[in-house]
Amino acid sequence: MSLLSIKSLSLTLGGQPILRGIDLEVEKGEVIGVIGPNGSGKTTLFNVLSGFLKPTHGKIHFKQTDMTGMAASERARIGIGRVFQNFGVFREMTLEENVLVALEALPKEQRLVLGDLKKAVHSTLKLVHLEDHAKKKANSLSGGQMRLLEIARTLVSGKELFLLDEPTAGVSPKMTGQIADLILTLKKEGKTVLIIEHDLPFIQKICDRVIVLDVGEIALQGKPDDVRHNGKLKELYFGADPTD
Amino acid sequence: MQLLLNALIAGSFAALLASGLSLVYGVLGIFNMALGQLALVGGLTTWWLVSILSLPLPLAIAGGILITALTTWFGFEFFVAPYYRRHRFLPLVTTIAFSMILDGLILVIFHQEPKTIDVGTRTLLPVFDALISSQQIVLIVLTILFLALLTWVLVKTAFGRRIRATVQHPTAAESLGIRSSLLHRIVFIVSGVLAGFAGIYVGIDQNLTPTIGFAITIKAYAAIIAGGKDSMKGTILCAYLIALLEQLSIGLPWFGSYIPSGYQSTVALLVIILVLLIKPQGLFGSKTRIA
Repeated sequence: MSLLSIKSLSLTLGGQPILRGIDLEVEKGEVIGVIGPNGSGKTTLFNVLSGFLKPTHGKIHFKQTDMTGMAASERARIGIGRVFQNFGVFREMTLEENVLVALEALPKEQRLVLGDLKKAVHSTLKLVHLEDHAKKKANSLSGGQMRLLEIARTLVSGKELFLLDEPTAGVSPKMTGQIADLILTLKKEGKTVLIIEHDLPFIQKICDRVIVLDVGEIALQGKPDDVRHNGKLKELYFGADPTD
Repeated sequence: MQLLLNALIAGSFAALLASGLSLVYGVLGIFNMALGQLALVGGLTTWWLVSILSLPLPLAIAGGILITALTTWFGFEFFVAPYYRRHRFLPLVTTIAFSMILDGLILVIFHQEPKTIDVGTRTLLPVFDALISSQQIVLIVLTILFLALLTWVLVKTAFGRRIRATVQHPTAAESLGIRSSLLHRIVFIVSGVLAGFAGIYVGIDQNLTPTIGFAITIKAYAAIIAGGKDSMKGTILCAYLIALLEQLSIGLPWFGSYIPSGYQSTVALLVIILVLLIKPQGLFGSKTRIA
């Protein structure tokens, strides 16, 4: 059985269809790249999956549970984690507090498994080499460090499905490498990742499968190499070649 | 010295109101226009429990706060909850409706005459060349303790961290599993309780006229606009600063004559206008939202 099952998912906003009948099965441990031109519905799909938008039609099952009508906070509690394009860190809180607040929001049984929360906070910051900044406010970090903090915070809070929205946007090449390594660590730990990204070499390096959205539909999907060399991809991004 | 003491007394009252308003704006992103009426509910029900039911003062205060909390909760469920997620300006209109309903009920139940909560004999104590009553000292100390407790909860506790996280990035907080709807209810009721205490404060220190709800609300708004909508520290500081300006405006001669005390509240409105002109984000406000 798939970890995440999306069936006939549609969303209409202000009379405009944004998502049109998306069907997608995601297996546990898969890393899937979600690409497509601007306005193709990538972030909207993530907003529907994380519970910030309600679909007009269709069903979403996670671990065989129908979560179509669930609130965002409930989805977080059953194991869905989101990393935001505009940095989801709490900038006026310290790094320690950023991780601690995530752990404190966990259901009680998960908190008990973690034991000493302060130790869990320290090991999380150590994972992304930010332990020396523990007492600093998050707004003192670079964009790449904020992204690492956000992913690590999601990881330690026991999420199983990660929705990463452009994790390399506004990040230096060196930090992009560190983010790729962290995502590969997630994969090794058996986590499932959906990742919106424009950087195709990055997608090729870390993803098992790529889906291409266009005007709210899955226009193309397959292995990263196959999709990259598919003529339809170029057509979607740059339009049809008039000489063809 | 007397002006300073008066400013401390009036500022503590405004700080109680404005800190609740700041908290609600920070967490829910909305303004509650019924704050002054909720202060009256706290003060007048406490007066009723003391004067009519002859309850001991601490019990009456607890009763007044409980009634204010329930009224605020009712206000949230019927005048805020159905609207605030659709558009953040809708509660501005709906809470005005709530305030008008409360105004009407207050007039019907308590009539127009000013009410003072009876706390027994007032002992006046000299401070340099000024006088302060023992009740006023207790009220100022209690206000400072309340505000210190509020700050401690925000900075040191898990609940406070959740509030600050929600203020700074509401969607990220929710995607970590923080239940925003429960948090919003609690914060809104806490702001009502702070307003209720402010009403009791005025009822003990001076008197409560059942028609001053809107004027009370304006005092809190002056503090939050001057201090910065996103800065609770700035809001509290400006509550005291505006109270000081009010006292200076009527307590000192200006160009040889005194300004009539009826113009005291105008100072708050002038502060709002001036700050909006010079620094629209407030004296301590920033472009990012923080608790």
